[in-house]
Amino acid sequence: MPLENALVVARREYLARVRTKGFWLATIALPLLLAGMGVVPTLLMVGADTGQRLVVVDETGEIGDLLRRELGASEIPGLQEVAGFTLTVEAPAADRQAQRAELNRRVLDGEIDAWSWLDDASITEGRIGYNAESVSNFLTQERLEDALSRAVRVYRLERAGYDAEAVSELTSGVRLKTSKISEEGEKEEGAEAGIILAYLLFFLLYMVLLIYGQQVMNGVLEEKTSRIVEVIVSTTRPFELMLGKLTGVCCTALTQLGIWLAALAVVTLPGVVSAMAWIPEEVDLPTFAPGIFLHFLICFLLGFFLFSSVYAAIGAAFNNVQEAQQFASVAVFFLIAPVFFFWVVINDPDSTVSVVTSLVPLFTPLLMMLRIAIKTPPAWQIVLGYLLTALATWASIWAGARIYRTGILMYGKKPSARELWRWLRRA
Amino acid sequence: MSDKPTLELRQVRKCYGDFVAVAGISLAVPPGSIYGLLGPNGAGKTTTIRMMMDIIAPDEGEVRLFGRPRRPEDRRRIGYLPEERGLYQKMTVVDQMVFLAQLRGLKRRDALPAIRDWLARVELADWERKKVEELSKGMQQKIQLVGTVLHDPDIVILDEPFSGLDPINQELFKELLAGYKTLGKTVLFSTHVMEQAEKLCDSICLISRGRAVLAGRLDEIKRRFGGHSFRVTTDTPAERMVSVAGIEQALPQDDGTVKILLEETARPGEVLGGLVRLGEVAEFRSEAPGLEEIFIKAVRDAA
Repeated sequence: MPLENALVVARREYLARVRTKGFWLATIALPLLLAGMGVVPTLLMVGADTGQRLVVVDETGEIGDLLRRELGASEIPGLQEVAGFTLTVEAPAADRQAQRAELNRRVLDGEIDAWSWLDDASITEGRIGYNAESVSNFLTQERLEDALSRAVRVYRLERAGYDAEAVSELTSGVRLKTSKISEEGEKEEGAEAGIILAYLLFFLLYMVLLIYGQQVMNGVLEEKTSRIVEVIVSTTRPFELMLGKLTGVCCTALTQLGIWLAALAVVTLPGVVSAMAWIPEEVDLPTFAPGIFLHFLICFLLGFFLFSSVYAAIGAAFNNVQEAQQFASVAVFFLIAPVFFFWVVINDPDSTVSVVTSLVPLFTPLLMMLRIAIKTPPAWQIVLGYLLTALATWASIWAGARIYRTGILMYGKKPSARELWRWLRRA
Repeated sequence: MSDKPTLELRQVRKCYGDFVAVAGISLAVPPGSIYGLLGPNGAGKTTTIRMMMDIIAPDEGEVRLFGRPRRPEDRRRIGYLPEERGLYQKMTVVDQMVFLAQLRGLKRRDALPAIRDWLARVELADWERKKVEELSKGMQQKIQLVGTVLHDPDIVILDEPFSGLDPINQELFKELLAGYKTLGKTVLFSTHVMEQAEKLCDSICLISRGRAVLAGRLDEIKRRFGGHSFRVTTDTPAERMVSVAGIEQALPQDDGTVKILLEETARPGEVLGGLVRLGEVAEFRSEAPGLEEIFIKAVRDAA
């Protein structure tokens, strides 16, 4: 079967897409956007929360000072920069009712941000009031809660007659130091690092499949509505045209992915990472094993041809974007569905749910990729998943080509599902 | 050059569900001629042409090219201008032409001289680096024609090439088609406007409701239908003339005369006698029939 024209079509498709400004804008904008989503909120919170002016009325006469000490040394990484405190400890006045009213007034007048009351009752009960105009500053509260807990713990221990420092040493916790074992050997890597990598690859794949699938559909629709397609099919079999189109768009996507992954590889170099203050120090960024790129490529190719041949068929069958979009949403559903399993798989990549869903051909490209990124699954599962998906992809191209062939020259009324079925069955 | 038909249809038939688009058409296009596929809208012209182009497969019958069954590689020896035609709006003129040439198996390097030559001929040489969307509709139509012929095909097939053209481009297209014939190439085009075919064609095929009602050399057809068309100047209204035995049709003309078509067996002298009995006849002369009348008559005869 001669396929020279598929190459000609693919070449045109590729050049036409790569030469647009939009392509380069998207290529540059997306990494910036992702980085921005990480950096900007952190910066905003840091900027907004410096100096929470807090008044603590201390009936115990001890906890106030303990709290002052504990606030200086938060155990939760990153919070120190996010939430700073200016702490004022006040003694209770004779008229407590009046003192509370006065504190409320100062909050409303903006003199202070919040106040708390420490008395024996609240300490015994373990609930301490936090009174502020805004109570949605959860990072600040988390840090205060953390510091207060430790201050109260020390206070209780000393009241019970223990040496708080000795107890603290004896009861100090441990932290998991995670190492990832793979064929390439044991390697120290934070749990966060594994998730970041899996998250990145999963959503990158998801996004590229979704965006480029839509692009195939719109491209086919454009050829159909501009009627250029009839000139082309007089020289080229529709199957070649479709295959060329898919290949051209596929190469465009690969170019973009290549740029992104190369950028990612550079960004995750150790020197660059340490320069990025928004990543908490203790998080090791993942280092890329070359094998994962190969799996990413396989998953992308399978997923792309699986979904895009459906998109091409939809584009060919309908007359405008509105009509096509209704059917396209069915394809989108199968692309989105794996997102629902994201956390299930992340948490236990070997659970039955994870294994079964990652072997469903329509889900394999995304979910198998996710499993591989977290923990290499048994080889037979990878091979089986790829084989099943390859079969599904073949079927999808075959069916897509049949609908494409008939639809591309059909104008006028919107075909019904029954008609599409007939196109599919017609030899 | 052999006298085998360049293009031949043998009883081709195409149905869409219950609708018979083409009900068994046979025709033969002689080499080096201009062939007209005529008929009203919806007669089956586009379906017939799409079967010639192998864009759709006939349900029955055979399409033959160059004296043998059609082969896939014949695509490269045909230039095709569909009725519904478009271009990639964002591509430059020259890239677009190169793309079309490459689809016909030409290399970019080999195609460029022909592309430049054709662009010069349609007076668009200065536009080759412009994007198609920057061109006027008339310019785009010329580009489409260039795309049809730039690979030097042996046969050019055009579906309604004159529809939507401004008068200047219509003349240009006609000249180019006539010029293409002088190179020894074969041209086939469809139209529903009989005058265009009458001026350009050597041979024609008249299609009505998916059937070929008449096919052959235009001069022969005219001769065959001659002697049946007369121009009459009289005071009798056209509607009353058809009551005369032997008159099949009476068509009032803008200049006040009436064109009449006689039945195959009618004798002009008897018809004139009949007309004289109805009213004053100032003029009665034989006229070479137009394709329009021939078509109407042929459709009636076929029914």
